[in-house]
Amino acid sequence: MSIQKIIRQFEPEQHNLLNILHALQNSSSGNYLSKEAMEETARYLGLTKASVYGVATYYTMFSLKPRGRFIIRICVSPVCELMKVDIIIKQIESILDIKVGETSSDRLFTLELSECLGQCQKAPSMMVNDRVYKCLGKDSIKEIIEKYRQKAKLN
Amino acid sequence: MIKEERILLRNAGKINPMSIEDYIGAGGYRGLEKALGMEPVEVIDELLEAGLRGRGGAGFSTGMKQRFTSESCLRCPQRYVVVNADEGEPGTYKDRVIMEQDPHLYLEGTIIAAHAIRASKGYIYIRGEYQESIDKTRKAVNEAYKKGFLGKNILGSGFDFDIGIKLGAGSYLCGEELTMLESLEGKRGTPRIKPPFPAEKGVFNMPTLVNNVETLANATRILEKGREWYRETGTDTSPGTKIFTISGQVNKPGYYELPLGVSLRQLIELAGGMRGNMQFKAALLGGAAGTFVDASMLDEEMSYDNLRDKGATLGSGAVIVFSREDSITNTLVNCLRFFKHESCGKCIPCRAGTAHLEISARKLKSTANDKQKLLASMIRESELMAATSLCPLGQSPVLPLKSAARYFKDELYGILTE
Amino acid sequence: MDKTISLYIDGKKISVKSGLNLLQAAKENSIDIPHLCYHKKLSPTGACRLCIVKIKGQKGLIASCTVRAEDGMEVTAFDEELEEARKYLLDYLLSEHDESRDATYRDEFRELVLRYGLGEKKNRKFAPIWKHIGYPKDNSSPVLTYDAAKCIKCFRCIKACDEVQGKNVLSFTKRGIASYITGGFEKWSESECDGCGECIQLCPTGAIVEKPHRGEINFEKEHKKVRTTCPYCGVGCQLELIVQDGRIVRANGAEGVSPNDGRLCVKGRFGCDYVNHPERLKVPLIKKGGRFVEAGWDEALDLVADKFNETIKKHGKKALAGYASAKTTNEDNYLFMKFIRTVFGNNNVDYCTRLCHASTVTAMLRSLGDGAGSNSIEDYENSDCILVTGNNMTETHPVTATFVKHAAQRKGARIIIIDPKWTPLVKESHIWLQPGLGTDVALLNGMIRVIIEEDLIDRRFIKKRVKGGMQALDELRALTAKYTPEYVEKVCGVPADLMQKAARIYAGARRPLIATGMGYSQQLTGTHNVFCLINMMLISGQIGRKGAGINPPRGQNNVQGVSDVGASPFTYPGYVPVGDDENRRKIAGIWGVPYEELDPEKGLSTIEIMQAAYRGEIRAMYIMGENPMLTDPNLNHTEEAIKKLDFLVVQDIFHTETTALADVVLPATSFAESEGTFVNSDRRVLRVRRAVDPPGQARQDWEIIAEIAEKMGRPLGKYRSESEIWDEIARTSPIFAGISYDRLEEKGIQWPCTSSEHPGTSTLFEEKFNTPDGLGRLHPVDYAEQSEKSGSEYPYILNTGRILYQYHSSTMSRRNSSLNQFANEAYVLVHPEDAKKQGLSDKMKVDISSRRGTVRSVAVKISTDVLEGELFMPFHYAEAPVNRLTRDELDPYSKIAPFKLSAVRLEAAK
Repeated sequence: MSIQKIIRQFEPEQHNLLNILHALQNSSSGNYLSKEAMEETARYLGLTKASVYGVATYYTMFSLKPRGRFIIRICVSPVCELMKVDIIIKQIESILDIKVGETSSDRLFTLELSECLGQCQKAPSMMVNDRVYKCLGKDSIKEIIEKYRQKAKLN
Repeated sequence: MIKEERILLRNAGKINPMSIEDYIGAGGYRGLEKALGMEPVEVIDELLEAGLRGRGGAGFSTGMKQRFTSESCLRCPQRYVVVNADEGEPGTYKDRVIMEQDPHLYLEGTIIAAHAIRASKGYIYIRGEYQESIDKTRKAVNEAYKKGFLGKNILGSGFDFDIGIKLGAGSYLCGEELTMLESLEGKRGTPRIKPPFPAEKGVFNMPTLVNNVETLANATRILEKGREWYRETGTDTSPGTKIFTISGQVNKPGYYELPLGVSLRQLIELAGGMRGNMQFKAALLGGAAGTFVDASMLDEEMSYDNLRDKGATLGSGAVIVFSREDSITNTLVNCLRFFKHESCGKCIPCRAGTAHLEISARKLKSTANDKQKLLASMIRESELMAATSLCPLGQSPVLPLKSAARYFKDELYGILTE
Repeated sequence: MDKTISLYIDGKKISVKSGLNLLQAAKENSIDIPHLCYHKKLSPTGACRLCIVKIKGQKGLIASCTVRAEDGMEVTAFDEELEEARKYLLDYLLSEHDESRDATYRDEFRELVLRYGLGEKKNRKFAPIWKHIGYPKDNSSPVLTYDAAKCIKCFRCIKACDEVQGKNVLSFTKRGIASYITGGFEKWSESECDGCGECIQLCPTGAIVEKPHRGEINFEKEHKKVRTTCPYCGVGCQLELIVQDGRIVRANGAEGVSPNDGRLCVKGRFGCDYVNHPERLKVPLIKKGGRFVEAGWDEALDLVADKFNETIKKHGKKALAGYASAKTTNEDNYLFMKFIRTVFGNNNVDYCTRLCHASTVTAMLRSLGDGAGSNSIEDYENSDCILVTGNNMTETHPVTATFVKHAAQRKGARIIIIDPKWTPLVKESHIWLQPGLGTDVALLNGMIRVIIEEDLIDRRFIKKRVKGGMQALDELRALTAKYTPEYVEKVCGVPADLMQKAARIYAGARRPLIATGMGYSQQLTGTHNVFCLINMMLISGQIGRKGAGINPPRGQNNVQGVSDVGASPFTYPGYVPVGDDENRRKIAGIWGVPYEELDPEKGLSTIEIMQAAYRGEIRAMYIMGENPMLTDPNLNHTEEAIKKLDFLVVQDIFHTETTALADVVLPATSFAESEGTFVNSDRRVLRVRRAVDPPGQARQDWEIIAEIAEKMGRPLGKYRSESEIWDEIARTSPIFAGISYDRLEEKGIQWPCTSSEHPGTSTLFEEKFNTPDGLGRLHPVDYAEQSEKSGSEYPYILNTGRILYQYHSSTMSRRNSSLNQFANEAYVLVHPEDAKKQGLSDKMKVDISSRRGTVRSVAVKISTDVLEGELFMPFHYAEAPVNRLTRDELDPYSKIAPFKLSAVRLEAAK
């Protein structure tokens, strides 16, 4: 769907801004908000560019830089930390050969840290795009990443 | 051993949360039916008499809040109900459980609240990361419209109410009610000056009731079963149940619905006791903006008032359990890192204060000397931040910091580390 | 509301009017509670937290800017705990702050740092962390620089832009310690910023600083501040010029005085550089052998005097004429007018008002008895409905527009715009009606019909205040009967329901104001347009009280004043008709000239003067500060007319298209070198003060005029100062009778002001209209099709107008590099559909031709701002003189020319 089409699904009211930005980001192949997308949004809502930019840069779920197809958000809050999430992070970094904040060279994965995902009963946990993965361990991490690699191959 | 009392979560795991028929079959929407047969002010009285207190953390009387909202600015063309479903306090997931297991439960409470304050429009502000909650709430809202529980002339009562879903996008601070309203309006999540409270000037400057998901779930039950029934559970000043989310070093971490007033020891027992052979060392109650307690608090009654009197907090109902092997310092540092990350930057004590606390906190983890002095100045700074910050975020670091220092001073000084 | 309350601060009892916040209450009693983010003009932010206090009976420390001062409050503003907390807060700010600075701004933060003994690093608790954060610096704007490391994040700039200017261009970005202010997507130059600089003025540190004169400003050196009036549009903003080494290095808005309360636009703040421009005229010039040669004043003025006398002798008194100037002071224009009437001995004096609001003024004079705006500029802020007709005020009267935006954005006022072209104010509007060019009479008659049909009329008002009462209404009803919504939709292209809605909102409003501009006046039917507006206003009773009425914002700084002091072919000072014998007798007495010598016959108006020159009837002209060679319609014709003159004197501050054709050019002073007064759009007489010395031999206009008269043997009188001239103006015009320079020292006074005790008049017509019988008049007029139409040869209708960054013929504005950086190229707006049809693309050059002439090589801007079939061009650019295309056909009542409507064609540039 084009940027304009996505935006026009919403009423042109400022209170729809976050929902619009989510929709635009989710539909972008780089999982991010392009300048063009923000400009169109500003125009549609009758806002200045900075009003949109200020919002887009405030919320951690939005990215202004192109990211991988799959965003790994790994929880680093106290419970997951207690459950040794640092080991999991290192493992993901080594599997994907990236550091936190980076995107893998095949542009499939971006590794990000997240505050508490509310899955503390089965820590450590993470999300890959919309899906939650819990009770992470060395084996499950490998499996999950492999699953997404396969998924990418299929389409 | 105590047993769970599933008043709110009686349907959890028993019905299909995606099916409104299931929900109705289990007695759903009767509270609403009853409420619609009552005058709005009677509904408020019912909640007031039931003694319901907000489950978001502050524990303010829900009935009072609704009364203020219903009575303010009678000339205003519109009043709103906003559901605070922006659960982000570390260690907390009680609202997620309700949204995922029984979304109609809080939706019903929302419609009841709207009727109580005569709101014709509402929003549910859900944390952007809670995809499953978002999906299930969407479905619930759609079905409720189809069944006539939302929209025009609800159940033939003449009462109209529409609801929209707004997504957060990664900001803990937006769980603070005035900040949430800013965000809901499509702005940056920065707090507003208080007063005015949302009851006077809320979303779009109109009178607004902001209630937490769990609070509204309670409202459903109170209307369904009545205030006397409700008061049978919990303590006098904190009636009803609370969904505790316990995590960390216990055998069965998870959510447990218990009457307010249970003790920490009872809760840990219910959660299968300490993991393995671990020994209890501490718990962090109420999340990052909460307080550490040690074993001396194990038998204290966990109610809003008693914990406050003991210098602790119930907050959101999060309980993170630590064993002797775990580092309080690490968790404290993590909490302070979290506050820095979530500070919006609007007021200086929080903006720079959280940054400096994090720098100092990292030194706590190092082999730096004179940690005593360091900790003292951190506490002083956090007190000052609490005294001068614009919103609760800047007022929070003092809680874990001071409580950690109170119970685990030696560890923080680096004396006990093995 | 104006109750006084008492409270105690640190034991001291203070009394203030109720409604203030606690910090402001303390301030007004000289209790200096530290603060940085608070500013009187802005809503409280509560960001710096420095103004914390303790209030008895309330918990904790409370930011005093965020609470209302209440009667009986007991406040602690200073104690050890509060002072320690403040020290911490300043220390925190220092840690994120780059302290390097220069002496170009007042640093309120630094002042507090020193006050709390934190100047020395050893007294600080926190290590600097700002270097690690990587704060950016945005240098992209033509007029300012933002340095995030010097920013204390007080939000004043954001709020200045949003709450004061109504633009909301700035935002906070990122979060926590990494946050800062941004325009656009971190690039100010690509944001919507129009350079007004309100943010600079309110910045308490050096985070936002202006670019022009950065190297020169040094507040540690001697400098002076001069309060004066802005030389650009007719808002009359009060400026505070900062003068250092004899040069203007900064212009700030003067806080706390009307009409602008500190606000300025980009021209006012960054448009003063022309004063010091090397191309200023510095010596008199005489054309010899086709070339200008420098001359002494005596030589030049002797020549002028001789030539004028010779013309009178040879061709009679009526063969001379003068253009007064809307840019110079009342005093200059008054003497100019006196010169024409007593030295030339005729009434051939006019000026550019004939090209702008003549039709508005004519209609208002006939219907209401006064041609000036009936209300005050600040009234817009409290209006509940503002009808903006043919008026791009965001660009032409930017500071007035801030009041309108405020009403719309913060007070729920509904803005109705009637304009075929998009203007920035449309963003704030409730309804935008877009009638085809030249169809306004039909539209307004349609609205009037709705108001009558739906009984939204004000019977009491009509019976009491309108001549003919209900009978007059019946005539209007009969005439407008055929303007059914369907018919109007057909003629104007405006959807019937929108038109009806607009009529209902206007008629039903409690305090509606009409702001009417060039789009309505510069038409052949200009007077008719305004008649219709007034008809609608009168029948709905929407005038004669505070906040209700009709206001034509004047285009130039002193258009209002020049008419007021009588530089008009039809009226003497104070709008007394030239034919009024009694008045002429009175004036003759004041002037000490024989009454018989004052011509009772109306003079020629601006365009008529040129037409008479073309016919050889006017042989000599004296032009003061006008540039008809760019601003008159049908320029080819104007050029021929001027070339036919025997003798032309032009008095100006720069060479212009017109000086090129002059025989003598006389160097005059700019506003910054002049003393005197201007009258702004809301009839406010405002002082102009000399800030710098004139360049070279330049002299103030009135001195030159007086000397020419002297040399012609007809002295105008002895004046030792501008103040003496003003006193004479006050004697000649009852509306100014009570105004003297003494009274203008602090702030302006709105006329009529009839005695030295009279406070001035903010609202006109409260009791009666200024017509002889005190009644307003309806003038029912029918819609007539425009005489100039588009057709196969000239398929487009061209509209012309102004833009924010340039001014009039741009002799001043284009000599400011800041303004030019924003807009230095002529363009023509073309609708995308038309562009497609013609195969035009953006930036492509086109030639534009009308029946009268051609303008070559104009850049195309494709835009939906204009309707299909219509074009728009700004008129400021000498290289694209749009008035070569316009007509000098005149509105029969007001003699205004139809600048807004010319049939043209477009061709790719040859």
